Amino acid sequence: MRGSDRGRPVWPVRRLRHIGAKLAGAVTSQVAVLVAAFLLFRVLPGDPVRAMTRGRPINATQLANLRAELGVDDPLPSQFATYVGLLLHGDLGTSFQYRLPVADLIGARLGATVALVGTATVLAAVTGLWSGAWSAWYAGGVVDRVGTAAAVTLWSVPTFWLGLVLLAVFGGGLGPLPGLFPTGGIETPGVSGFGPVALDRLWHLTLPCLTLTAVIHAQYLLVMRSSVLAVRDSAFLTTARAKGLSDAAVRRRHAVPNAYLPSATLIALNLGGVVSGAVVVETVFSWPGLGSLFYEALTVPDLPLLQGLFLTITSAVIVMNLLADLSYPLLDPRVEVA
Amino acid sequence: MRPGGAAGATGGAVGTPLNLLEVRGLTVTYLTQTAPLPTLDKVDLDVATGECVGLFGESGAGKTTLALALLRLLPRTATVSGSVHLDGVDVTNTTWGRLRALRWKAASIVFQGATQALNPVQRVGGQIEEPILLHERSSGTIARSRAAALLRQVGLPPAAAGAYPHELSGGERQRALIAMALACDPRLVVADEPTTALDTVRQAQILDLITGLVTGHGRAMLLISHDLRLLSSTCDRIAVMHAGRIVEEGTPAEVCAGGRHPQTRALLTAHTRIRALRHRHRPRPPSPAGHVGVPVLAADDLVVIHPARRGRNVRAVDGVRLDLAAGEIVAVVGESGCGKTTLARALVGMHPPTGGEIRVDGVPLRPTGPWLRAHRRRVQLVLQDPGSALDPRHTVYDAVAEGLRIHRLRPPGGEPAAVAAALVRAGLQAPETFFGRYPQELSGGLRQRVVIAGALILQPRVLIADEPVSSLDAAARADVLTLLLDLRDRSGLAALVISHDLELAWSIADRVAVMYLGRIIEVGPAQQVLGSPAHPYTAALLAAMPQPFTPLAATLDGEPPRTSSLPGGCRFHPRCPVLLTGTADAAGIGHACRTVEPEPLPAVGPAVACHYAAAEHRS
Amino acid sequence: MTAGRAMRRAAGRVDARGRVAVAVIGAYLVLAIAAPLLITPADLSAVGAPGAPHLPPSARFPLGTDVYGRSMLAVTVWGTRVSLTVGLSATAVAIGVGAVAGIVAGHFRGRLVAVLMHVTDWFLAMPTLVLAAVLTGVLRPGAGPVVLAIGLTSWPATARLVRAQTLVVEAQPHVDRAKVLGAGHWHVIRHHVLAAVAPLIVVQASLTVSAAVLTEATLAFLGQADPIVVSWGTTLQQARDAGSVSAGHWWILFPPGAAIVVLGLAFTECGRAVQRALRVGPWEHP
Repeated sequence: MRGSDRGRPVWPVRRLRHIGAKLAGAVTSQVAVLVAAFLLFRVLPGDPVRAMTRGRPINATQLANLRAELGVDDPLPSQFATYVGLLLHGDLGTSFQYRLPVADLIGARLGATVALVGTATVLAAVTGLWSGAWSAWYAGGVVDRVGTAAAVTLWSVPTFWLGLVLLAVFGGGLGPLPGLFPTGGIETPGVSGFGPVALDRLWHLTLPCLTLTAVIHAQYLLVMRSSVLAVRDSAFLTTARAKGLSDAAVRRRHAVPNAYLPSATLIALNLGGVVSGAVVVETVFSWPGLGSLFYEALTVPDLPLLQGLFLTITSAVIVMNLLADLSYPLLDPRVEVA
Repeated sequence: MRPGGAAGATGGAVGTPLNLLEVRGLTVTYLTQTAPLPTLDKVDLDVATGECVGLFGESGAGKTTLALALLRLLPRTATVSGSVHLDGVDVTNTTWGRLRALRWKAASIVFQGATQALNPVQRVGGQIEEPILLHERSSGTIARSRAAALLRQVGLPPAAAGAYPHELSGGERQRALIAMALACDPRLVVADEPTTALDTVRQAQILDLITGLVTGHGRAMLLISHDLRLLSSTCDRIAVMHAGRIVEEGTPAEVCAGGRHPQTRALLTAHTRIRALRHRHRPRPPSPAGHVGVPVLAADDLVVIHPARRGRNVRAVDGVRLDLAAGEIVAVVGESGCGKTTLARALVGMHPPTGGEIRVDGVPLRPTGPWLRAHRRRVQLVLQDPGSALDPRHTVYDAVAEGLRIHRLRPPGGEPAAVAAALVRAGLQAPETFFGRYPQELSGGLRQRVVIAGALILQPRVLIADEPVSSLDAAARADVLTLLLDLRDRSGLAALVISHDLELAWSIADRVAVMYLGRIIEVGPAQQVLGSPAHPYTAALLAAMPQPFTPLAATLDGEPPRTSSLPGGCRFHPRCPVLLTGTADAAGIGHACRTVEPEPLPAVGPAVACHYAAAEHRS
Repeated sequence: MTAGRAMRRAAGRVDARGRVAVAVIGAYLVLAIAAPLLITPADLSAVGAPGAPHLPPSARFPLGTDVYGRSMLAVTVWGTRVSLTVGLSATAVAIGVGAVAGIVAGHFRGRLVAVLMHVTDWFLAMPTLVLAAVLTGVLRPGAGPVVLAIGLTSWPATARLVRAQTLVVEAQPHVDRAKVLGAGHWHVIRHHVLAAVAPLIVVQASLTVSAAVLTEATLAFLGQADPIVVSWGTTLQQARDAGSVSAGHWWILFPPGAAIVVLGLAFTECGRAVQRALRVGPWEHP
């Protein structure tokens, strides 16, 4: 074996160092997010209280209470200290429009978002990655051209409009076609019992999930397609064919595994896009998750709630990126492990 | 003389089992976006069981296409006509199922470029087991033990099975590729340039291995190479290929003696021209001890350390003293990884030295901006691959004029005149015709001349050439080397040529310095160093050079250690044949070899860094 | 300069699909510029609308009327102005900052560059829309904040790609050769890097406009655009709020969305066509 391996620390130590390095990076990003959130919601609006109460009827005492509650008149460094202190206790402030703790609001709506995003991502991963690999392998064929054209078109369709169209066609009914799906929300009032409620929820989940899946599928297809295309001319595929492997085996065992890493990096890069898509879809379908909560907060603007949501969403993205980063050495052994 | 066909070992008719491989009238044309590209033209070739046939030709002659066609591995854009009979089966017409069964079992290929031919994300053991599992339908355990046995045969440790290709060195990857090719016990092994880019020592090792495992076990081999000396020392028969046709076939003696076909003669002439260069030009008279005047380029105790990512530094250049006098050509030779490229880059000023000093015309080189700029005017560099050394978006004119523009020079007579003059100096007549051309339109040899012209336009005192001809074919090689000699004779241009090719050093160098692991271990006049080498390493390098008709013998075992983990004592001692055979101990200096590192050599020489050689010299 | 030469040669090799895309973009531009000549402020007035709300297509209103009673055709045509203005300005900001950052990060080494790369990566990981929406939510909704928000969130993608390409170019031996000849930073960047990077920037710009148009529409839909200005996103938001979706008023839903899709597709296809045109040709990197 290579002489350079002599003297290198043993495998588990290298892995731990690698994990440590990535964790440190994630923590730095998280701190940056905290500072950014403070800048965005306390510094940028100038006077946050005025920003929130613009054009709203409010009397002097309420205004004063609000100012005291948010600590807006304190010097900035002490505001930042209070902010960090509260965060470490899990206190995300109080929502202006609901008068409830932000953390509670977020906690209540988190499940719905996870259900939507989780289902859509899994479905899109299965369909998108597989069809992407297939399209690239038989590039130029009918399946490829149709599939890629559809994906590129979907990529150019604003997610909210796709949702509106699906809602109009399948929810409200268009012309002679009846609406088969609900026009919003997560449940129909009056349904009870575990089974019926579950089915009802699934029925409500269909359209929003379909919308989100379609957009993510398009992205995954294009990403996987470009990765496999890049591998298609590799010399080691000729070696595999020379060994007598069938075309499908060459694709499955040699081409696709080499496309995992570039695909994974591109997918991880777009995790933020998936989250944005979720926000929009929830707004269109009134799906009671974090996305629609975000929309409600935007309209006021409910700065404490917005801040809490911003922190939650971006932290989630950082954690997902960290997990993706840690998975790279498993996908491609050439990735440098400390 | 009809090429191919009846010149086969048995002259059997098509389909006779005695001929393992029979190619008849194979014609391959690639369809491209512009015009169809004919690659093979009615090729006939025979290989009998147990025979070793060599396929010789320049790059682009179609050798790899032929190899791929044997197993019907050409892409769909290739139109194939003619027939290929492998072990009695017509490969070009058989069913997909039979073809797959035939692949790797009847014949396997050792591909060119082991790094690209192996799947980077699959373990080496798995890649060797794959064809075994596919063809033999054996269990996993049997396949694993077979793979382990194969790895042992090629000289790799069993741990290599669990490694990924990038964890092995270049030579180890090549061995793994060979092990993989033998996995299903094929009757024919096609080796496509198995030793390109390897230095002579590793080349000999790999060839030794291949011939031992293939012909030594009764298998047939088709050895493809552009190196005729290599083929003549290993093969029973050689087929010469030119522009897609077999133009000549015969025993090595017949082919090397001059060949009957004009193409063969042209190729051979190019090879021998290089040797003859030595005699065409008056070698520079060797100067007496010590150079007259100040050397135009001098390295004094030069140390260059690469900071490695994992904290251990690589001492690429470790205490080098070298002088270059005006009008002198010095060759620095050594295995890949010995530090010669780093030395070249440090001398040009691209890599700041970690220790020691570099002097040009007696003036020390300082790493700051203005000094470096002035230095650039005096010392220029010519790189290995002219294809990538020229920006494909710049015309020849832009490329040559770039130096003038960078330094904002206004030559008397104008820029175009200076560019034309530089091109002429580089051997390109009618320079104006080249002004608007792009590098891609020129051949390798012409491109290298453009690069040289670009360097010459700044009128340097020294030209440093890093493997200037290794990517060129034989004819272009001779031209560029002649150019260097002309420049030396006519304008007193000093040149430092870096190469792993000893023959090149022999043809143009006045003095030769041999480098090993960052140190110069022997230096002196070319005649002396290459004719009667004193250091065991130099002797091994020379002995490993392929000679016509002589079977190759690996002269050194193993790989040189990494410079980050050097052995104590003389750097070469773990591989030194003098020490390993006990001769050094018998002479009483074995202990010194193991513990004391020889002193760095003086700048001029002749000198050798070897305890044994010094002891012999004294006695 | 070689970058210009590279671009001109590439322009000559754009295929049929690319030319169609450019033509479509041209048509949108013409409509946007000519719109004030075709549509009067009266046509766009929400209060004194020319027709009754939610009217299906007829001879008088070929695309029907919107929730206020304005002609959908007029509204859709007028929407090109906002989308193109915001899309192009945001792209100018994003590409300007991104290209410079990318070249600097690719060419120079050192602590500052490492910090720059960390900042770029951080921005890249952030959800663009969320960040942009927060920016416009905190500042008053309007064209300026929207342009700023999109520009600020789109530059990292370009920076990353430009940096990668700069690194590739600078690893080539011909850049080594230029340095050996004595080239300084500016010479290397101007004569070697720019020529290699310019095509990539053009492709990126095209794709960024496409994304910017989409983001602008989405932000408008989320209520983050100036409600007085007529834009596609705002129209769709008003339609939803007025219940046109469930009521099945497809003539209100379809034209603005289709306009967005076609414009986005045109810019995307234009970018890909330039990419294809550059793949063919004598200066494909070895």
